[in-house]
Amino acid sequence: MKMKQFAFFFLLFLASQTVHSWKKDEFRACDQTPFCKRARFRKLGSCTLIATDVSISDGDLTAKLIPKAKQYHDQDPIKPLTLSVSVYQYGILRLKIDEDPSSNPPKKRFQVPDVIVPEFEGKKLWLQSATTEKLDGDIGGLSSVVYLSDGYEAVLRHDPFEVYVREKAGKRRVVSLNSHGLFDFEQLRVKKEDEDWEERFRGHTDSRPYGPQSISFDVSFHESDFVYGIPEHATSFALKPTRGPGVEESEPYRLFNLDVFEYVHDSPFGIYGSIPFMVSHGKSGKSSGFFWLNAAEMQIDVLAKGWDADNGILMPTEQSRIDTFWMTEAGIVDTFFFVGPGPKDVVKQYMSVTGLPAMPQLFSTAYHQCRWNYRDEEDVENVDSKFDEHDIPYDVLWLDIEHTDGKRYFTWDKLLFPHPEEMQKKLVAKGRHMVTIVDPHIKRDDSFDLHKDASQRGYYVKDATGKDFDGWCWPGSSSYPDVLNPEIRSWWAEKFSYKNYIGSTPSLYIWNDMNEPSVFNGPEVTMPRDALHLGGVEHRELHNAYGYYFHMATADGLVKRGDGKDRPFVLSRAFFAGSQRYGAVWTGDNSADWDHLRVSVPMILSLGLTGMSFSGADVGGFFGNPDPELLVRWYQLGAYYPFFRGHAHHDTKRREPWLFGERNTALMRDAIRIRYTLLPYFYTLFREANVSGVPVVRPLWMEFPSDEAAFSNDEAFMVGNSLLVQGIYETRAKHASIYLPGKESWYDLRTGTSYKGGKTHKLEVSEDSIPAFQRAGTIVPRKDRLRRSSTQMMLDPFTLVIALNSSQEAEGELYLDDGKSFDFKHGAYIHRRFVFSNGHLTSSNMAPSPPGNSKFSSDCFVERIILLGYTPGAKTALVEPENQKAEIELGPLRFGEQHGAAAVTIRKPGVRVAEDWKIKFL
Amino acid sequence: MMISVTAQTALMSQEHQLVQEEKFYCKNIGHSPSLLYSSRVNDGICDCCDGSDEYDGKVKCPNTCNDAIAIESLKRNVEVYQEGVTLRKQEIEQAKRAIARDRAELSMLKREREVVGKLVSQLDELVQKLEQEHEEEENKMSEARNEKVKNKKSGPEENADRQIEPMKTSDVEKKRQSGESPSDQNEKDEDKNSEGLSREELGQLVVSRWTGKKTGEQVKEIDQTKNDQENDGQVDGYKESVADNTSRQSWLNKIQETAQSFLNMFSTTIANLDATQIRKEYNDYTSKLSDINSRISSLTEKFKHDFGKENEFYLFYDRCFESEQDKYVYKVRPFKDATQKGDNSETLLGKWDEFGNSHRYMLFTDGDECWNGPDRSLKVKLRCGLKTELTGMDEPSRCEYAALMYTPVLCLDEKLEEFKQKLESIDQVQEQQWNHDEL
Repeated sequence: MKMKQFAFFFLLFLASQTVHSWKKDEFRACDQTPFCKRARFRKLGSCTLIATDVSISDGDLTAKLIPKAKQYHDQDPIKPLTLSVSVYQYGILRLKIDEDPSSNPPKKRFQVPDVIVPEFEGKKLWLQSATTEKLDGDIGGLSSVVYLSDGYEAVLRHDPFEVYVREKAGKRRVVSLNSHGLFDFEQLRVKKEDEDWEERFRGHTDSRPYGPQSISFDVSFHESDFVYGIPEHATSFALKPTRGPGVEESEPYRLFNLDVFEYVHDSPFGIYGSIPFMVSHGKSGKSSGFFWLNAAEMQIDVLAKGWDADNGILMPTEQSRIDTFWMTEAGIVDTFFFVGPGPKDVVKQYMSVTGLPAMPQLFSTAYHQCRWNYRDEEDVENVDSKFDEHDIPYDVLWLDIEHTDGKRYFTWDKLLFPHPEEMQKKLVAKGRHMVTIVDPHIKRDDSFDLHKDASQRGYYVKDATGKDFDGWCWPGSSSYPDVLNPEIRSWWAEKFSYKNYIGSTPSLYIWNDMNEPSVFNGPEVTMPRDALHLGGVEHRELHNAYGYYFHMATADGLVKRGDGKDRPFVLSRAFFAGSQRYGAVWTGDNSADWDHLRVSVPMILSLGLTGMSFSGADVGGFFGNPDPELLVRWYQLGAYYPFFRGHAHHDTKRREPWLFGERNTALMRDAIRIRYTLLPYFYTLFREANVSGVPVVRPLWMEFPSDEAAFSNDEAFMVGNSLLVQGIYETRAKHASIYLPGKESWYDLRTGTSYKGGKTHKLEVSEDSIPAFQRAGTIVPRKDRLRRSSTQMMLDPFTLVIALNSSQEAEGELYLDDGKSFDFKHGAYIHRRFVFSNGHLTSSNMAPSPPGNSKFSSDCFVERIILLGYTPGAKTALVEPENQKAEIELGPLRFGEQHGAAAVTIRKPGVRVAEDWKIKFL
Repeated sequence: MMISVTAQTALMSQEHQLVQEEKFYCKNIGHSPSLLYSSRVNDGICDCCDGSDEYDGKVKCPNTCNDAIAIESLKRNVEVYQEGVTLRKQEIEQAKRAIARDRAELSMLKREREVVGKLVSQLDELVQKLEQEHEEEENKMSEARNEKVKNKKSGPEENADRQIEPMKTSDVEKKRQSGESPSDQNEKDEDKNSEGLSREELGQLVVSRWTGKKTGEQVKEIDQTKNDQENDGQVDGYKESVADNTSRQSWLNKIQETAQSFLNMFSTTIANLDATQIRKEYNDYTSKLSDINSRISSLTEKFKHDFGKENEFYLFYDRCFESEQDKYVYKVRPFKDATQKGDNSETLLGKWDEFGNSHRYMLFTDGDECWNGPDRSLKVKLRCGLKTELTGMDEPSRCEYAALMYTPVLCLDEKLEEFKQKLESIDQVQEQQWNHDEL
């Protein structure tokens, strides 16, 4: 025992020596993962399954998959698989393949529940019939063709089996599965005597009681040049090939939710969240998508062109095609093909399956201040008052794990936080909010009511032997609620009531961390795969969705707490397809270096593309101390993240924005203020995401689908359709090359200078700001009066910034509601459209009429209208319907900036933002 | 009223300017006027005590300028400062006297050094002579004995010791050639060994990466600092024995007398001298000389410090301020160091660095190393108070400590005047209002 202890401390010593390195060895590489290693060795065309018994039943096209070749007697008979193809509105094909229940498999394979939104089933198109056709080049092979949507068809080729969608005209393929014959489905079976199903990794044994059950197949995206998506990885936005000619040895993109200590900035390795949804895009300007609803460990290869050359060409050579190879450890094939054709269409199609992003609390779209840890009430008060002292707005102050009584969530450290309610009230007096952390690991302490309650009710995840799983996390020995179970989720949600969460007030919101789940002494720092959930489901089958269910239960808890009247705000680290319905995510524990600043952009773009519109990276970098220049650059970029929070590890120096000298304070204040002035625009974009799924922050090609130069650009991004932003990713930068897409001009946000589109500009950069531009032809609503927090901005007047295009036209939108309740669902909102054309600016209603049963009104005025690129030199304008004249003069582009850039301005046109009006430029 | 204040004048020359500050002026009649960020105007929160910042009428702000509590606190401030200013003057007077005393001592010590130095060198000569004679006798007697010992030298152990070094380096070399760095080896060892850990140990291993606890606390043994204190003690001991300047004057006279008597001895023959007595005197005066030297250097060292414009911090030099908080005793010794003492450990929070912000805080830096963090440091903020005391020890950022110290030294006249004026302006207004009401 003594000896062991000694060894342990010695190890701690070693650990401390090598602390700044990613522990790569602690995580399973593909060749240490039998299913992945085996799948990667599979040969082209080795799938011999053919589709038989093809028919239409219950509105689906169904078939059985059986091996073509006769089996030898000494082999196990291969049982047939069932296949069904369903078709949904907007061009969605769903393909399911599972074991045939009539052949009595040893266990029902897991299908991920509660991810597909209930409305989706209502969008199913009941197939009446299939046509059979014989395709060119298929000797004797037949295909069944069904209707998919206007212009698209779904095809099931029988021999060899293949499923794809194609354009009706020209029969151009869009997305296809098993075109390379790599499909493989390991059916559950009874263990033979001489077999050893256990898998060992670094001292952990996975009992694997059900043996091999993996699935793999190839998916091809036709007429595509790039694929994107499948977060979460810290790597480029356009996914680089992981196998094939010209690719050095690479891991596949791994989807396995893990708490990775100090993740590296360029790796296909899996981190905190998983969304098995991939989007393709090509020169044609068209996009398509593929989603596999499966929560087990997944590995995905992107194959370099020519990867299949050696093995004889199975498919006709296409100029542009991206082949991918998907592998998973368990579950079923439940896949969705999205036809696009526009990038936004693909996103909408995906969202119709997994749901639209929640409409956030307005305050949560503003700036958040976090640190591990603000140590006590005095510290909180100090930080809060320092923001006021330096006139820096902020909305939310966060408390990390140390605020609790011994890492027992829902409790407060009585010494450090003796008056939590009073503390929150003080913040509320300035319109600010607080967020506390609530993690899924529950301290195994018999005097802790939550633990007693959970263990008595049997609500914990079980280990392979059926006992409560006992893992190690912050509080020490901990157990984890089985949030797969809806009953347990509902129990968990109750814990957030004001009665149960003592010291919480209506201004307190929640942060879910460590929900991968993180288990410090588990294999790969997570839960063993043979742990058991509701109904005997193994952890391996749902691992990637654990954090999703936890996030869901927490968000539901906040809704319940507020009687269904207050929108929840829950930030989660782990996520899965559908997490967008429950709140925000961030990119976890990044580091204070320039590479991490750089990679935050592709990471946020990937999240947005796959539904997680409300995302951000820790400003400043969590680990390490950013030098002031890096910190300033991070604030300047972070101000455009959908989720904007500064955060830091507790070993780092304090880094609140006023700690680096007056000049740096001014720069960070300015960056944060830019975000605040743009809040009306951001909020309008959050609403757009909420109704269409189109993310707040988007890749350039989503707005310019035919602009090839934009396809692999992940240095710059669009905020909505109007702003283009590019970070400065290196120290002491004097210049930056910025590609501005499209044919129209762009206006520098700071100077109003216009730049031609379709060109790369080499621009001088200063420390004041990062490059940001407004696209000609757009109108951006702002609120330029600076306040302590977004709460005080509610009644402030608007500024409209109109950037005219070459035909002197522009348009934009503004969405407004109460910023917190669900009344907007019943019509209590204002949605305006502003159009400038023929020298007239008009404001018109976009909300459907008649409005719903509740109303939202606003008396806010438009205090300024700024015109960029306005050529006719009108001196006055006529405001209708009052027929009043307004002066056109030169005014500052930025409010209060008397010596800055000037622009054509109408001050106080005297119109209310919520009303119909017209301003004629005379 | 909006007035434009260029808060960032220094930045005006910048090519692009940041948003310029507009500030709002609150008259705050009955109280002191204040400037407010324009972001506070009509934001629904009452900032000016006269409520003038919320003029759009959306909220009603009561006028709290004549708030009794505010006036009370202003009055209390005036009281504290009035007494504090007096105490400060006393402190400065005392400091002046102490400086004069220390200066006098220093010049005295220098004279002593001269005298005692001379004496020691003379005694040294005498001792040398005595020893020479003694040696000559000794040599004759011991020559025979030395012969026997000569053969016993250079044993085998020494060679064996030397061989170890090259073996070690070649070992490392081998590993390098096989492409393994020593740190790789470390990681491998950890990997291998972590498999043998209990589940709890493994959990803690991962925790430790984040928190650095267990491995991190680099706590020095108490002994170390004890030694330092003993060293200081020696100097203090000497200081006490010679503390009184008048008695020292006579002491110096005595030495000079002694010196004279020794000089006289030179004239007599060596044979007549008492060898033991001389050696004793020599030893005594040598140690005295070294005491004098160390005292001189410690005083010289002391005078190098910045004690403030009026040397108001001079008396802090030999003081130690303590504060007890959460199981720890904090000790702050200005111009020296600061420590944190727990049950059985003592941590150096920092060595004296400097005053900052025109003597408004004391900075101690370069303290004990901190795991995965900066070396410990302490900032002691100074505030006006009637007693000098250390409070509010805090660690706002990991290993960067902060404390508050109240002391009359910080009770500045200007500040008192400021408070007085504020109070007067309130009184005036109240009088005016009173008169107005009478009309």
